[in-house]
Amino acid sequence: MNITRISFYQNASRIFFFIFFLLFFIQFGFWFKTESIKPTVDIVPEVPNKYAVEALSLGDKQFYFRFLAIKLQNAGDSFGRFTALQNYDYSKLYQWFTTLDGLDKQSRFVPSLAAYYFSQTQKKEDNRYIVQYLDEHSSADIDHNWWWLFQATMIAKSSLKDKKLALDLAYKMSQNNVKEAPIWTKQMPAFIHAELGEDCSAFAVINQILRENEAGVREIKPEELDFMRYFIKNRLDGLQEKKFDPRKCKNKK
Amino acid sequence: MYSIFKYIFLTAIRDWLYVGLFLLLLAAFGISIVLGGTALVERNPMTTSYIAGAGRMIFAIGMILFVCFHIRRSFDNKEVEFILSKSISRHKFIFAYLLGFSLVASIVLAIIIVPLFFIQSGGFGLFYWALSLFLEMIILISFATLASLILRSAISSVLASLGFYMISRMMGFFVLTIKLPESFRDLSTSDGVMKSLLKVLSVVFPRLDLFANSEWLVYGIVDFSNIKLIIIQSLIYIPLMIFMSFYDFNNKQF
Repeated sequence: MNITRISFYQNASRIFFFIFFLLFFIQFGFWFKTESIKPTVDIVPEVPNKYAVEALSLGDKQFYFRFLAIKLQNAGDSFGRFTALQNYDYSKLYQWFTTLDGLDKQSRFVPSLAAYYFSQTQKKEDNRYIVQYLDEHSSADIDHNWWWLFQATMIAKSSLKDKKLALDLAYKMSQNNVKEAPIWTKQMPAFIHAELGEDCSAFAVINQILRENEAGVREIKPEELDFMRYFIKNRLDGLQEKKFDPRKCKNKK
Repeated sequence: MYSIFKYIFLTAIRDWLYVGLFLLLLAAFGISIVLGGTALVERNPMTTSYIAGAGRMIFAIGMILFVCFHIRRSFDNKEVEFILSKSISRHKFIFAYLLGFSLVASIVLAIIIVPLFFIQSGGFGLFYWALSLFLEMIILISFATLASLILRSAISSVLASLGFYMISRMMGFFVLTIKLPESFRDLSTSDGVMKSLLKVLSVVFPRLDLFANSEWLVYGIVDFSNIKLIIIQSLIYIPLMIFMSFYDFNNKQF
């Protein structure tokens, strides 16, 4: 018995080395079989709920906002993937936008991402989510966010071809009271009315701006006034061609 | 007292704390700049937030590790007994240790502030951010010191300090859960035990979630009421930890 035990101890290091080598070989085999198994990566990751966001931000919402914002920007294009925007789940993206707005409403990052990047989708109907988000983001403070309402108007008009929606957004944008905002933010409803063939309404919008100018509400540059007069003249000519009395416009919007 | 002060400063150099943290912070700054640079817009605010957030985490973890291992090793090497054999009282010893750790923390803080000074857009926000981060670290250092005095293993005190830091940073979330459960409809509010536990935690732990918010570096500070709360919280919690340490250390048998 003693001879067997001594012999075991003498050969122990060899046995251990053999077991080590065997396990290493098995590990190599395991790697060989599993190397092609990749973790599932979503195009648009799951949106963290309010509860998780509050807990994981560890009190520093700005840092967590920036962390999630860059994650959203790179969603679908990580690990060597390039995903066409038409394959993105825009309902999920919309949830991401609103979640991020909950962390930082002042930042331009999320509206920029929505308006300049995600709006380029090949599936035009998905842009309804973008327009809805930009509308919601801007409505709380139109004076600071008229630019995003303009983007929403343009996306609705050009991409969705929904001019009624664009008109509603344009009217909302025209409510801004920012002195530095260009005059076209006020004129935009008139342009869309004109595109819709609603010359009377277009005429009314521009006329209102001119009246406000005369009343001293805002100062308008001479070249802008010239343009508006030209615009009105064009509308009036159009109405005359249709044999419509422009004075009847008063009762129309 | 001055010698303890100097001793801690030298041990920080000996333990490669400055070099280690500097290299880690440098790596974090580099990653932040690269990551922030990939942003579609607002590259500077991105980089600022990343540097501030990552810097704070590295700073906190670095200080916890340094304080806990330093104190434990001082006990194991009988350095504490040696110092106490000189004409220094126990509370002066604790006080000198805390001051020494605070000096070490202020040097690390300076390393974090430098890049932020050049890229932040919050004006005086940086000053308040740095001040609140410093106070946050003093609270953390005080707790880590207390944990190292009470617990016999460095690992346990590190884990306790990390737990303390995470819970304190999540305190806003706890308070929100206790006060406004209806705002989290997907959270079961029927669990009264959990609610009571969170309430107890919110009484005992400091509100570190109010400290060092990187939003101040991006937009500046609009509401100063938080700063007032931070100062009050620090004035309460730091002495609380110090006196607890005094009490524990006074009763320690060597």
